[in-house]
Amino acid sequence: MAFGIRLHIWGERACFTRPELKTERFSYDVITPSAARGILEAIYWKPAIRWCVDRIHVLKPIRFESLRRNEVAGKLSERTVTKAMKEGRVDEVAYFVDQNRQQRAATILRDVGYVIEAHFEFTSRADDIDTPGKHLDIFNRRARQGQCFHTPCLGTREFPANFTLVESDEAMPFVDDQLSGERDLGFMLHDIDFADGKVPRFFRATMRDGVIEVPPFEEALA
Amino acid sequence: MILSALNDYYQRLAEQDKVPVPGFSSEKISFCLVFSREGEPLQIDDLRDTTGKKPQPSTYQVPVDKRRTSGIHAYPLWDKTAYSLGVCAGEGKRLADEHAAFKARQFSLFGESGAPDLRAFLRLLDQWRPDQLAELLGYSDDVMDTNVVFRLDGQQQYLHENPEARRIWVAALESGEGIPGQCLITGEIAPLGTDHPAIRGVRDAQPSGASLVSFNSDAYESYGYSKNHNASISKAAIFGYSTALNHLLRSGDDNRQRLQIGDATTLFWAKARDAAHAEAAEGFFAMLNDPPSDEQEAAKLGSLLRQVAEGRPLAELDSMLEADTQFFVLGLAPNAARLSVRFWYVDNLERLARHYAQHYRDLQLAPMPWKGVAPAMWRLLYATAPSRDGKAKAEDIPPQLAGELTRAILTGSRYPRLLLTNVIMRMRNDGDISGIRVALCKAVLVREARLAAHSNSTTQEVPVSLDPHSTHPGYLLGRLFAELENAQRGALGNEVNATIRDRYYGAASATPASIFPVLLRNVQHHLSNMRKKDKGGLAYKIESEIGAIVDGLGDSFPKSLGIEDQGRFAIGYYHQLQARYTKRGNATVAEESTQGEDA
Repeated sequence: MAFGIRLHIWGERACFTRPELKTERFSYDVITPSAARGILEAIYWKPAIRWCVDRIHVLKPIRFESLRRNEVAGKLSERTVTKAMKEGRVDEVAYFVDQNRQQRAATILRDVGYVIEAHFEFTSRADDIDTPGKHLDIFNRRARQGQCFHTPCLGTREFPANFTLVESDEAMPFVDDQLSGERDLGFMLHDIDFADGKVPRFFRATMRDGVIEVPPFEEALA
Repeated sequence: MILSALNDYYQRLAEQDKVPVPGFSSEKISFCLVFSREGEPLQIDDLRDTTGKKPQPSTYQVPVDKRRTSGIHAYPLWDKTAYSLGVCAGEGKRLADEHAAFKARQFSLFGESGAPDLRAFLRLLDQWRPDQLAELLGYSDDVMDTNVVFRLDGQQQYLHENPEARRIWVAALESGEGIPGQCLITGEIAPLGTDHPAIRGVRDAQPSGASLVSFNSDAYESYGYSKNHNASISKAAIFGYSTALNHLLRSGDDNRQRLQIGDATTLFWAKARDAAHAEAAEGFFAMLNDPPSDEQEAAKLGSLLRQVAEGRPLAELDSMLEADTQFFVLGLAPNAARLSVRFWYVDNLERLARHYAQHYRDLQLAPMPWKGVAPAMWRLLYATAPSRDGKAKAEDIPPQLAGELTRAILTGSRYPRLLLTNVIMRMRNDGDISGIRVALCKAVLVREARLAAHSNSTTQEVPVSLDPHSTHPGYLLGRLFAELENAQRGALGNEVNATIRDRYYGAASATPASIFPVLLRNVQHHLSNMRKKDKGGLAYKIESEIGAIVDGLGDSFPKSLGIEDQGRFAIGYYHQLQARYTKRGNATVAEESTQGEDA
């Protein structure tokens, strides 16, 4: 696996919200490829590269828990921001959380652990000085040292992710016995097609002995 | 997964003709207006079911396209009287607009059709004057504000059942296709829908229905999508999941697929080889959740569960219950106008039955505080609410607890720790040390000990019945406390205003070192009192029992007990107190014989 990396991530809680049950959040059973991409990008990303998740290893049994939280009900409108930019003043760019609240329920995952197997591809913005070895080395070095651009999270910002690099000669972390066998996880969000109108794409996720093969994004349109 | 399982369930129900086809919905209809070929209204037929005390509307499958909210939207060939006939009981500010919308909708849908029934219907609408209604044969005030369908005089079928009308309706629905996209339920590229029907029948949700999929504030929207475009679900799948859900939530006594656990309305369904096997599995699960009160039935279920717990395959015990039947459990709780999924659980029947058997085994307490297998889940939950004069209210049950307890039972995982703290707090607050509460304490401790067994912890086993050899301080103190209470009862009788349990239970179970020395001093008075009253035998028995327990305790009382030890305290207390009742027969005999010797 020349270009490939393996990253072990884990955390106490996680919420990979399903798009259809987004208001009263309900999590997918496991991490989605786009959430995994987000974690990789938090550690290392440049405009010249694009991360592609190849495989997700689930390490711990899937456990749910539900809770209620007070969250915001609105967001700043695009208009407010463009107006502020035009006028050069920011006094209207404010959101008072205590005045616009909503109580929402969330069914989240408890005690998760995954290994993400991924590689990167070059985008059209790569040029001669971008070599695979360079970016791979930078990622590995950063991951080994625990460096990141921002704290990677497990689905939502409230649930931070711990991470460690699985070296290429290192063995895989232990997978719980409860995950053996084949399990159909249904259709899962692969990623959003940002190049083409922000259309969501889904793929049929099947877990075999804890391993989910992620199809290339182009094939996700089942 | 939830919605796709519901959509699958819809397909299975549709094969059995139990649910409406796309574009139709089961609605409550009370009356039918009969009209002539010339479009003259003739009479009003009452369609209600009058077998009960109050007439109930009947259910018909009528054409429905989308849910009506605040705007004006008329349904084809049926509607409530304000729309269809232009009359209502109140003042009806929008009455004229609503009736006009109804007429306009019918004309735009069926205006082109040459079918004589529909032509007559349109003639009726043309000539209709709202004040005509009261003069019609069969009219009563009950007609106001109910849903009305139509029928041509001399026809058997209602107008909405007319094949031509249906064909036109389905064609009209399909012509209004949405933007194509990938459906996240079926994975197919199909026209995406945006109208999610209301889900009706979840307790404490709005009676007009609540939404499972909704984006009612802009904080829930992403990537520039507005409202329901955020969830890319095809029209067919929306219809499928919502119809299946409403079918599961239908009211009526024949619906055994719904049960209430705390604030969560719980639905379940099975996927088996055929409908009969699925129904058997659903019936079995209904019984697990609400064990029958009939003694014979309960005994049958009890022995079945015991054998399942011992590892015998379910199919061997009952041929209708197949081990690999897939089982789905969905818990929905209302949150304002929305529904949230409290829990979602899919497993096969075999494992599910095993988890239930384990649950009942963990609750096992001797002597049994209940008759039959074990109390239903809702009764367990009542034990966690404050008991006022022996009664608890459903709204006092912590909602989170209900969901987590269900999850623990279904998956065989740890009971929520909150359960133990809650029950102990309740016992301390209202002093009601009931069998169910003690059983819950025991279940939490037993299950935790079992699940921690491989993690090398050295917790003592929690006994099912009185264990005189246990050296656990919490358990011993519980037993001691029961004996002290026995002594008080023996000395002062049962008519004590405030027993030591009423006064000291909380303190004794939490901080033994500060309470037990006082209690032990007082017990001497009780014992000497008893001796004076010619109850020397009993006094001797209690004294020796106290001695034996204190011996096991070591040289000092623990300063405080943790929550887990307080659970053991409750169990010890229960065991020791019950031992007195169960042995009473023998004890009184023994007492008399000692007295005989004295004399």
